[in-house]
Amino acid sequence: MKVFIDPPNSLVLFDLVERFGHEPLSAMAAIQEKVDNLEVDMPPMNVTLDDVVRGLKYAGVEVPSGIRGRLALWGPMIDEADAAIIMDDCPYSFGCVGCERSNLMVKYLIKRRGIPALHVSYPEDDEQAVNFVAQTKEFLEGLQ
Amino acid sequence: MSEQRETRLFMISPRSMLTPDQLSRMVHAFGEEAIVKETCYGCLVEAPRETVLRILARVRERYPNEVFSKVRAYPCSDPRRCRAQHGTRPGYAQLEAEWALLSHIQYALDRVDAGAKYVPPKEKKRIPVNDFKKICEVQ
Repeated sequence: MKVFIDPPNSLVLFDLVERFGHEPLSAMAAIQEKVDNLEVDMPPMNVTLDDVVRGLKYAGVEVPSGIRGRLALWGPMIDEADAAIIMDDCPYSFGCVGCERSNLMVKYLIKRRGIPALHVSYPEDDEQAVNFVAQTKEFLEGLQ
Repeated sequence: MSEQRETRLFMISPRSMLTPDQLSRMVHAFGEEAIVKETCYGCLVEAPRETVLRILARVRERYPNEVFSKVRAYPCSDPRRCRAQHGTRPGYAQLEAEWALLSHIQYALDRVDAGAKYVPPKEKKRIPVNDFKKICEVQ
């Protein structure tokens, strides 16, 4: 099954989803499509007109362009996902830094789609990490 | 995802005794047709997707809980990213943050393999008003 991860560039979540037998939907794969197929200078910093239009499906025109740009990339992945894993309470520098509104919007879109979603907290020590991995494993093994 | 080219990033957990040099030599020794680049955190491997997945499976077989991997969007040594060519390296802060976390994750994977289960944390309850009053009252 396709599992969306949030933060979408997380190595830990990507690795765990793959390790337990599912396909992670990550920002890297979406950006790779653009690196390989488009002649844009430096994706995802530079976007095409199509990206901007695609972003409008997920965020209104009054929403700041940064959020719309991010959602143009992540929105289609959320549409495609069969499940999601969301890491809450991350430190500021963890994940795609800089935009809490985008993160809230992503959580809202996942909730609106109604797919199974697991909220895990960022592990601060070994014992919390055991809980985090065990919870993720149970969730991923339970997906049919 | 592209089937033609996949670039994988292999990162070694700080709790592991493995070094980036050992890891990249091991990947080279598999004899697959892939570009392998040693880095400070592990190595980068670039090849068609099938080959990369084969390499990943063999690395996991050897070091199941010590080496972690994810896809990288840009190819190895891309001038827009590679530091040798004064690239910007915008993803490096994230890698550094996760590198610190990997030590806990390695420990957790070992414990989960040994049979550890999820234990829900204790729910935080509101303190009863009378208890709160006792705390607040000046003796």
